[in-house]
Amino acid sequence: MKRVLAVTAFTFRELIRSRLLFVWLISVIVLCGLDFLLSILSFGSTLQIFMDLGLAGMEISGLLVLLLGLAVTYTTEMDQKAIFLHLAKPLTRGEYLLGRILGFFLVNCLVVLGMGLVIVGLVVFLGGGTVPVLFYECVVFILLEMFVLTTLGLTYQMIATSMVGVVLYTFFTVFLGQCIGEVQWLLNQQLSHWVKVLLRVVYYILPNLEAFNLKDRLYDPNLVLGWAQWQDILLYAFSYSFVVFLIGWINLEKREFR
Amino acid sequence: MERTAVVTDSPCAIQIRGLSKTYKTGFWFTPKVTHALKTVQLDVYENQAFGLMGLNGAGKTTLIKLVLGLLRPTAGSVAVLGGNISQRGVRQRIGYLPELPYFSKQHTGRELLGYFGSLHGLAGSALQHRVDEILDLVRMRSAAGLKVSGYSKGMLQRIGIGQALIGKPRLLICDEPMSGLDPVGYKEMRDIFIDLKKAGTTLFLNTHILDEVERVCDRVGILHEGVLKEVVPISKILESSVPVDYWIDVDGAEAAKLSGMPFQETVRNNGGVQVSGLVLAETLALLTARKAQVKGVRPLSSQVEAYFLKAIGAQAHLNRPIGGRRP
Repeated sequence: MKRVLAVTAFTFRELIRSRLLFVWLISVIVLCGLDFLLSILSFGSTLQIFMDLGLAGMEISGLLVLLLGLAVTYTTEMDQKAIFLHLAKPLTRGEYLLGRILGFFLVNCLVVLGMGLVIVGLVVFLGGGTVPVLFYECVVFILLEMFVLTTLGLTYQMIATSMVGVVLYTFFTVFLGQCIGEVQWLLNQQLSHWVKVLLRVVYYILPNLEAFNLKDRLYDPNLVLGWAQWQDILLYAFSYSFVVFLIGWINLEKREFR
Repeated sequence: MERTAVVTDSPCAIQIRGLSKTYKTGFWFTPKVTHALKTVQLDVYENQAFGLMGLNGAGKTTLIKLVLGLLRPTAGSVAVLGGNISQRGVRQRIGYLPELPYFSKQHTGRELLGYFGSLHGLAGSALQHRVDEILDLVRMRSAAGLKVSGYSKGMLQRIGIGQALIGKPRLLICDEPMSGLDPVGYKEMRDIFIDLKKAGTTLFLNTHILDEVERVCDRVGILHEGVLKEVVPISKILESSVPVDYWIDVDGAEAAKLSGMPFQETVRNNGGVQVSGLVLAETLALLTARKAQVKGVRPLSSQVEAYFLKAIGAQAHLNRPIGGRRP
């Protein structure tokens, strides 16, 4: 585990010191500004809109940093072959992959929680409002979503043969993962057997990002998250990530570095 | 220079049996097969320095990657330090310096060495102590706090050798270790290798700098077009009778006396003739008979170079003027 943590710290430092955080800072300013503007333009429930859009902004900035981080590190690790030095050390490929995932996730936590703090600060200190408990639960859901996407992104990085491939695969997985609800709806329609089989495969392979979307129900008075819901979402996030990690690990073990 | 005797009953640090590697490229309908290595058999003995020589594209880097497990063999096997490279214990005792190592630019030299040390299981004050030792060894103490992005090619190479040595390896594998080094760095690196060899570290140097092979290595393997042509002790090469070319400097004013020389290969009007070592004595005698003023005689290639060129069947290379060495 010490070696995994060493890779995690290495990755974290690498990402933090790269220009990714400038991009994040700009995105925070732009998103918060846009958020503020839209909440002013909306009539009534200003803080509600502000928090709603703020949560969306957290998700977007987390995703942005993930995609940029994947692109930057692919160039260093794979194109410039820096990975050779890691893999020639007494470190298993699984440890390397896990360390990278955790390093990326830590940066994502920093990005999402950082923006969350900004939003809470603005709502409480400038707006004089209160932040519902569900807001914090939404943040945890976003972090879980980021964990799943980070595992997927890093797995793609181990499989893909180009930086563009990694970014595109991750981007489209996010896009399609948000459409799982539509796939579920299609499954209930009158369709041919083979189309349904295909849809079912897509349904089970893609991450169900809809499951992490709590922000749309931030002000749903009937929504109270119980232990059962928490258990479900945690189990789903970690089991899905674990399977993806295993696929990435197997691929990395088989991969040749010319 | 002190040379260890070649003891062939030493334990093997690397044992390669029937190793082949084929790369398949191209599309389904136009596949292209490249045989990078063809049934290589090789034993690298412990406490010795082994040099793998070959032209660009001979398969040297492929061989190293197969030894390190970065590539999988098409056929054959590799045993490293008596085990399999996939074992953590085996990799714990290996150091590897790739050709032109590339590091994450966001770290300082000290941080990089610390990181690679921690992968070897070092921690706390033991790690810091080892990092300091290595920084002193590769003469990077003063630049240790700078980010790698500001390092020159030579400094990167020094940090590269530093990370390879951080775990006190029993076997050090280097792919073109002299790349990017200035003459001072070149000498320092060579001294490091000689010290490591004295300390009992097995060296596997992949290089086409033949001078380095001659000064550091005990045994040499010659790889050409994926085939290991021969493995020979360096002492045998130095004692071999493979002819070396010589350049005979003659006073420019007496250039006319060089015309019609029976053994000449290249003549310069400003005074000089290139001849094979086989006919050096006869040529000098002839020049003396013509009363030409010989200013000096110098070898154009080393014994190792001549041996290497002969081994790969490059007779044409033996006869060509060697630009870099031409007076």
